[in-house]
Amino acid sequence: MSADVIAAARAESRTLLSEVEAKQLLADAGVSVTETRLAASADDAAAHAAELGYPVALKVVSDAITHKTDVGGVELGIADESALRDAWDAIHERVSAAAPSADLQGLSVQPMAEPGAEVILGITQDQQFGPVLMFGLGGVFVEVLKDVAFRIVPLEPRDAAEMVREIQGFPVLEGFRGTPAANLDAIESMLLQLSEFAEANPDVAELDLNPVFARPDGAVAVDARILLTAD
Amino acid sequence: MAVTRERLTRALSPKAVAVIGDKQASGYTWLRSMKEFDGPLYSVQVDENEIPGIEELGVPNFKSLTDIPERIDFAVCAVPRQVAPFIVQSCVEADVGGVTLFTSGFAETGEDIGVELQDKIFEIADPAGLALIGPNCMGLHVPGLGVRFNRDQPAGIAGNIGFVSQSGTHGMNFSLTGAAHGLYCSTLVSFGNGIILEAADYLEYLADDPQTEVIGMYIEGARDGRRLFRTLREVAAKKPVIIWKGGQTEGGGRAIRSHTASLASDQAVWEAMIKQVGAVAVHNLDEMIDVVKATLLTKRTQGNRLGLIAMTGGQSVVLTDAFEKAGWKVPTLSDDSYAQLSEFFNIIGGSYRNPLDAAGTIGQDPKHLDTIFDILNADENIDAVGMELSATFMARRWQDKPEEFDRLINSIKKFRDESDKPFLAALHPSHVEEAALKARQRLQEENIPTFASFERAANALRKASGLAAV
Repeated sequence: MSADVIAAARAESRTLLSEVEAKQLLADAGVSVTETRLAASADDAAAHAAELGYPVALKVVSDAITHKTDVGGVELGIADESALRDAWDAIHERVSAAAPSADLQGLSVQPMAEPGAEVILGITQDQQFGPVLMFGLGGVFVEVLKDVAFRIVPLEPRDAAEMVREIQGFPVLEGFRGTPAANLDAIESMLLQLSEFAEANPDVAELDLNPVFARPDGAVAVDARILLTAD
Repeated sequence: MAVTRERLTRALSPKAVAVIGDKQASGYTWLRSMKEFDGPLYSVQVDENEIPGIEELGVPNFKSLTDIPERIDFAVCAVPRQVAPFIVQSCVEADVGGVTLFTSGFAETGEDIGVELQDKIFEIADPAGLALIGPNCMGLHVPGLGVRFNRDQPAGIAGNIGFVSQSGTHGMNFSLTGAAHGLYCSTLVSFGNGIILEAADYLEYLADDPQTEVIGMYIEGARDGRRLFRTLREVAAKKPVIIWKGGQTEGGGRAIRSHTASLASDQAVWEAMIKQVGAVAVHNLDEMIDVVKATLLTKRTQGNRLGLIAMTGGQSVVLTDAFEKAGWKVPTLSDDSYAQLSEFFNIIGGSYRNPLDAAGTIGQDPKHLDTIFDILNADENIDAVGMELSATFMARRWQDKPEEFDRLINSIKKFRDESDKPFLAALHPSHVEEAALKARQRLQEENIPTFASFERAANALRKASGLAAV
């Protein structure tokens, strides 16, 4: 349950939730995320992967690591168990070289989601207006061009529809150069769910769903980061 | 205790006014500003040296608010900050409706003494439900009642623009420059630190005020942003609201670990909020005046196709550029329109594709302008009409032959009154600024909206129409 995840983090004086915790919170709120499990050992990971189905992704889980790819902590598209065991060792080697002092809680295992247009959805707390939602296209669009739209929580359906259409890169979502059109209803629903999530969880100071794969058949958050308020 | 609507209305539409603490050193500026007040005006001043000067102005002076023989609805307080709590207390005792605390030097200084004094004032005013405006503000301007805080502000004219300003300067500038453009306030409030009444309170009042048709606001930050957001959503559903957000609020310095938080600048969030509530964002005084003007003086259109009347070929080109850049389309006219235009339009040194380069044609016979207006009114490809009024070529001529200008104005008025399509004009100041200004004022008298450049006209009509930028 939501309260448990947050309470556990509070008990350990942590403000950054792990990807596994963040996704659990979101899944409880009905937000579509790839199912993600924490594995403490390679055997553990293999058991999870067998249940979730290959191909899978492995990602490092550590309070000390904010950007997993920067320390070589991510392996994608792992096809079978032997590749999984190789990936397990490879991630540990790279991370211990890049971040020798970081304590690892383990690695997360999740099925590879079918790709789509990459979008980012987020929550932040504005000093004056409280919870604010963000929407944009992922990757270079958000990082370099800052092509994003904001709305104050609570959102009405009209707000979600306007947000999605407001960004400069909107034509990409309508289908562009071979990328199929994204399901806009699914993105808008996810924005409205996050609006409710933000209202229900004032402890959430920041949230990034980055990326969310926006496909013709729906939208799913592949990575999630949640930062709790300081108190 | 919240200020009741009755109390707020009493304060903002007063029948009796008092000025507390005005003095020679400031040129009795408050009393002089209030001289046009449409009702009894009193002064409260204890300093014997100041009283003769006040009485010379013809304003009866009293040593205390409670000595005044009638109930005061609105008071202006310009006393030193140490005295302010005492004056606020006496306002409560005298059952004053509301008071503007012009006095500054409170929480805005960041000094302990300022914060303490401000808290003290709050403790006195709040339980009494006193409609306290400020402190650190210029307060109230109601031209219809002659309530002013600056002697150049209009009096005796009941306007239709409600204006709420966190800053005294920007509120004052709107009232002064606006009046020069024929735009008058119903009620303007500069609220400064806003310790009792804040922006949302005034917005609610203006939303219900029957005289107010459009609301402008200058704001730098909100004490209760959630309330401002909710209030704006309700108010903007009733009346057009135009918001000028000044400044950037500090981020608070906390560690940011997400893309979302790093991108959510103060500016980005305010712009989003303004859009979300259905208000219009503007970014300076000129734009505020332009958009208020277009909102009040042009009809609303859902379409974005413009018919343009220009005076030269070169202007036709840049007029089109300016409007298209702002999201308008300047389409070809209907076949029917072209058939009619071909019968009389002078194409030597002119053209009628759209824009209609029409100086020669109108010069030949001023009635042609009426025909052009009729054609554009009937044309189904056209949603709105814009016109270049070239001061460069015309202003001196209008000066010499006012009857020509009158004829032009009559043609415009006829179109405006008969057509559902919005009309606006661009009138560059050009090299004959004085003549252009006179022309603008004459057009203003007829409620014909003019803008100082094509870009400003295009932007104002787009924002007033609520059309999205391209």
